[in-house]
Amino acid sequence: MVVDALSVRGLSRNFGDLVVLDDVSFTLPAGRIAVVLGPNGSGKTTLLRCVVGADRPDAGEVLVQGRRADETDPQIRALVAAALDDIDFFPDLSVVEHLELVAYAHGSNAEPVEEVLAELGLEPARDQLPVTLSSGQRRRLALASCFVRPRRVLILDEPEQRLDVRGRQWLAERLLRERDAGTAVLLASHDPELIDAVVDERIEIGR
Amino acid sequence: MSAPPVTVADTPTGVPTARQVRTHLRRARSRHHDHSLGDVLGDAYVIVLFTGMYGWFAISASRDLLDSPTVGQAEPGVRWWLALAALLAGAGLVWRGLRALGPLLVTPATQSWATSAPVDRRAWLAPRFGMLLVGAAVGTAALGLAVAALGGVTDPAPLGWAAAAGAGWGAAALALSVVAQSSRAGRRWPVVAGAAPMVAAAVLTAGVVFLGYVGDGLPRPATTPTVALFALAVPLAGLGTIRAVRALPRVDRATLTTGAQFANAAATATILLDPSLLAGLVESRRWRRIGRVRSSRFLRGPGWWAFLQADVRRLRRHPSALLLWATLIGVQYAAALALPGLAGAAQVVFAYLAANRLTGGLRSISRSPGLRRALGGSDALLRGIHLVVPAVGAGLWWLLTLPTVEPGPSWLAPTLALGVVAAAFRAGTRPPINYGGATVNTPFGMIPVDLMRQGSRGPALLAGLVLLQLFLG
Repeated sequence: MVVDALSVRGLSRNFGDLVVLDDVSFTLPAGRIAVVLGPNGSGKTTLLRCVVGADRPDAGEVLVQGRRADETDPQIRALVAAALDDIDFFPDLSVVEHLELVAYAHGSNAEPVEEVLAELGLEPARDQLPVTLSSGQRRRLALASCFVRPRRVLILDEPEQRLDVRGRQWLAERLLRERDAGTAVLLASHDPELIDAVVDERIEIGR
Repeated sequence: MSAPPVTVADTPTGVPTARQVRTHLRRARSRHHDHSLGDVLGDAYVIVLFTGMYGWFAISASRDLLDSPTVGQAEPGVRWWLALAALLAGAGLVWRGLRALGPLLVTPATQSWATSAPVDRRAWLAPRFGMLLVGAAVGTAALGLAVAALGGVTDPAPLGWAAAAGAGWGAAALALSVVAQSSRAGRRWPVVAGAAPMVAAAVLTAGVVFLGYVGDGLPRPATTPTVALFALAVPLAGLGTIRAVRALPRVDRATLTTGAQFANAAATATILLDPSLLAGLVESRRWRRIGRVRSSRFLRGPGWWAFLQADVRRLRRHPSALLLWATLIGVQYAAALALPGLAGAAQVVFAYLAANRLTGGLRSISRSPGLRRALGGSDALLRGIHLVVPAVGAGLWWLLTLPTVEPGPSWLAPTLALGVVAAAFRAGTRPPINYGGATVNTPFGMIPVDLMRQGSRGPALLAGLVLLQLFLG
């Protein structure tokens, strides 16, 4: 039996009387890319936050490789890599030290760090402190945090934001390589070019 | 061509321990700054020294004040029972504070780069839990000591029992709040644990006030049951600690980072001496909990009429402001019983607090030039309209608490009431603090003059009103 990499069942989230997510369900097999689509305020970010455990849904459940996605479960944290808009940085650690830390904490070696730095064009900034980075470089560093560690599910909230044209092209290529490696990718995006380049499944919410 | 993406093993093997990750992080960070352990201990020493020194001064000054003729004589049991009510209310507020903070939290950076990894959650949180537990026990022991000393206790043994009881209940509250943090959303007991002491405090205050005004008042118990309180707290703290340690692996990212936002806002507000930074976050959380409201059209009329309706609507959707307004009436009656000589001054302070809670609209328009531009009309008109609700609220509050004060000169009460409205207006129209400009050297370091000027906008006038009442009331 093939187990879906990611399965969302009946997910609901309310803020008081305001229903942000109403019974959202979908499945995502390994090696597929799903894009969450919806207008502003439709709950895309809330959905991604509930999937990674940054927010608590009022109802429903998330399964990762058939296992209930409880964020307190180390196995789930080992499987799911995410770059949401709530990422923050240590003010006193350099770019490369951030990436080495996350690689180390996941039990992997620092080998991918240099490759990812080069791939994301962060090599010139490798020794810079976060406060000196541009918003685009910070975005690249956030994305890099996902690529220096093992993962089976990749969750990205509007990853194209603040990236220049070349950065967006790179992102599309990278996502396709993630798919080819068997990673399930769930992202929210407003960029039609990126969506058309990578999408396997469209998940429409809030319509 | 880049390397293919890394994939995960079936189980997270080779993951370092929490201690190893913490050490790695600490070493990396220590390379870029030169804070030594000596610096940290030195800072801690100064904080403890100043807290102890000023704390002892505050306790002895308060004791002298309570015994002075200025405060006046209260019924023997009134102060005891009202102090108990105040402790209960304080316990409820502390519980709510602990729940808002977590109390366990990780900074957003730590969450992003360390605790998102499959490191053992219990091992990561255990040292922080231990420090918080010790801190809570020490802090509440000092509180127990202070309360006993304020109550006139001087013998070492009762003082020791009061400190021990405080430590026990502080540790129990901290441990149980960690258990609550790990529980599923929607569990009732953490809400009940916070509400019960506050309801008990309200009932107790109402009873004391009622009996104080119509009867002989409640008698003071022969002894204060600190030993019994300690005996009750010890098993609760022990059981709570065991359950909290068991619960540590279930403390999730959602609660860890929510508390961090509050802690960050509180720290920033403290450093910048601007409580509005924390109040803003609390307010946005409150509105987010409400989420959706029933929208309806404003009644036809001129522009100011719509603004006024909007301000009333804001109040209706924020009933806790009204609840506090009403609670302060009871507090004023209690204060008049416990500190009869200071009833007039208390009335001024509590009236200001009550009116201040009704200035939400005034604060919103005063802090946002963009909002004022969008609404149109002059700034004076907008501010004037948004003063109506606080002014009516303050006036009504003043009338309802008139029986608690001795009538002074006929001009004094209206002057003080108008002064309270003016103080609430000044605090409500405080612009965002400007940290530039001239600075002045104080015992607390260099402080911008503008910060002191703006920080005292409202409270300075209030202090003047209190002095006026004390000298002429």
